[in-house]
Amino acid sequence: MSVRLTTDHLETIRQHGERTFPEECGGLLLGVVENGERVIRDVLPLENIRKDSRHNRVELNPLDYAKAEREAAKRDLGVWGYYHSHPNHPAIPSGFDLDHAPFVEWSYLIVSVRDGKAEEVRAWTVREDRSQFDEEEIINA
Amino acid sequence: MPKIVIPTALRQYAGNTAAVDVQGATAGEVLASLTTQHPDLKKHLYDANGKLRSFVNVFVNDEDIRGLQNENTPVKETDDVSIIPAIAGGVGAEARTASSLPDLSKDEIARYSRHLIMPEVGMDGQRKLKAASILLIGTGGLGSPLGLYLAAAGIGRLGLVDFDVVDHSNLQRQIVHGTKDVGRPKIQSAKDRLSDINPHVQLDTYETALRAENALDIIKNYDIVIDGTDNFQTRYLANDASVLLGKPNVYGSIFRFDGQASVFYPGGGGPCYRCLYPEPPPPGLVPSCAEGGVLGILPGIIGVIQATEAIKLIIGEGEPLIGRLLLFDALKMKFRELKLRKNPECPLCGENPTIKELIDYDAFCGITPPQPEPKVEAVSDWEVTPAQLKAELDSGKQITIIDVREPHEWQIGNLEQYGSKLIPLGQFPSRVNELNSDDEIVVHCKMGGRSAKAYGVLKEAGFKKIRNLKGGILAWADQVDPNMPKY
Repeated sequence: MSVRLTTDHLETIRQHGERTFPEECGGLLLGVVENGERVIRDVLPLENIRKDSRHNRVELNPLDYAKAEREAAKRDLGVWGYYHSHPNHPAIPSGFDLDHAPFVEWSYLIVSVRDGKAEEVRAWTVREDRSQFDEEEIINA
Repeated sequence: MPKIVIPTALRQYAGNTAAVDVQGATAGEVLASLTTQHPDLKKHLYDANGKLRSFVNVFVNDEDIRGLQNENTPVKETDDVSIIPAIAGGVGAEARTASSLPDLSKDEIARYSRHLIMPEVGMDGQRKLKAASILLIGTGGLGSPLGLYLAAAGIGRLGLVDFDVVDHSNLQRQIVHGTKDVGRPKIQSAKDRLSDINPHVQLDTYETALRAENALDIIKNYDIVIDGTDNFQTRYLANDASVLLGKPNVYGSIFRFDGQASVFYPGGGGPCYRCLYPEPPPPGLVPSCAEGGVLGILPGIIGVIQATEAIKLIIGEGEPLIGRLLLFDALKMKFRELKLRKNPECPLCGENPTIKELIDYDAFCGITPPQPEPKVEAVSDWEVTPAQLKAELDSGKQITIIDVREPHEWQIGNLEQYGSKLIPLGQFPSRVNELNSDDEIVVHCKMGGRSAKAYGVLKEAGFKKIRNLKGGILAWADQVDPNMPKY
């Protein structure tokens, strides 16, 4: 599967990563699944609720997730993915990311932020057996 | 009838509905009702052991059932039950993408074949081991089996930190070093042995002590830290640096016949060393292996447990020792396990951490850093050097020599030929009356520390003519009697 985002969506993710640098940030991807693509219609930056290790950990508030689902439902959308930043690390998922990836049906976007400047954004999916991530294509349109 | 709200990603397994009507009076019952209606959901919500997956949060209205009564939390007809994913991420121990893992050469495939044929390791697992990097702090008792087995297992890059040189007294347990290596820097000796075992492993050597000034710079280049030292300063330093950098710290310690092991990894949801021991014991209370001894085999057992844990973390298989402290008693040949909890008040990994950078660990542990030794050794009037003592004895002076060590140390070597008498330090206060305060007395132990305490006891008891043998029987062996065995 691939994931479709607009330039504005990608910019929202990059800016969130730069704003929160050197800490990690995260948010949700709202959209629909159409013709085998996850089409993202909205990017929802959320608060990192971690109290410790914020430079290398991000955690979202479950109630923010519940709220996002309700908002999405009103617009006939769903929550189809999640993004987070890797300050001073490549946009490659870590073992921690794998252990904490909730759904094999989601797109996982990672933005690498080096010295406060957002660099590449890459998208990943989790294999059915949860053994590893595979990269998926970002269709920027 | 209560409703369960299903997250978008799982609706395809629940008849494409956002909310399912369920029956039951508790959270556990309504979840059972849900998976009965939609069996496909089961494998997404529960793991192979039938436990709710770690990322599955169940909320009744706005409350997590973990904060209520878990699966026994009552659910009313009007309540909304929601399945909400726990969403977390971060820069972690290791990348595990197929595309980013290094390939194995034909030689490597032949070498690791016993790993490759196990599905839990396989090609992907072995490639993860090759992609991984581990820092070994210390190449001594624990560092030896750790280095040998991790190199053999095919860890891509091993860092070795040690400042010490190989000594005869190391060889009883530090099996990475051999008799021919005595006097060499330990990291050089270890590097030779490990590269012989597996030339595919990249070995980085740091001939230095791990200190607050260099710890972050060294540790940041590795996925996993393994602490194989036996002093509290380095243990706290390794812990703090690992937590600050978000790295797992595989811990092991040994003393006499007992060992411990755990994995400290707040980033992986577990406690850190400070959660267990917020502060070090007062200096001198807990003897080191040099003072109290250690069964030579014991670091082999504990080091190999640490190596096993490191490999499990890398390949992502099994249940790591995160949040568990394994205790081993070699005399009883028993393992026990204690649950360790994260301390919310922990100054390092708790909810309101106060330690945000490395500190002065010598000061924290109450240790005065060793002063550089003056060229000409000063001898205070309460001390006597081995050479002086020998000269006085040879001149026929009557001196009562009191050995305050333990009987088993006496058996290794003693000054009995000069009339030395054994009174172990522990018995000293009650046996002072065996001594005559009119005699010239010299007290000694192995290195001079315990006899200094004995000196204090005698002084207090009003003795005047007492001196302490500077450097103990080891200095005697060095300066007077080369036939005296050293230990």
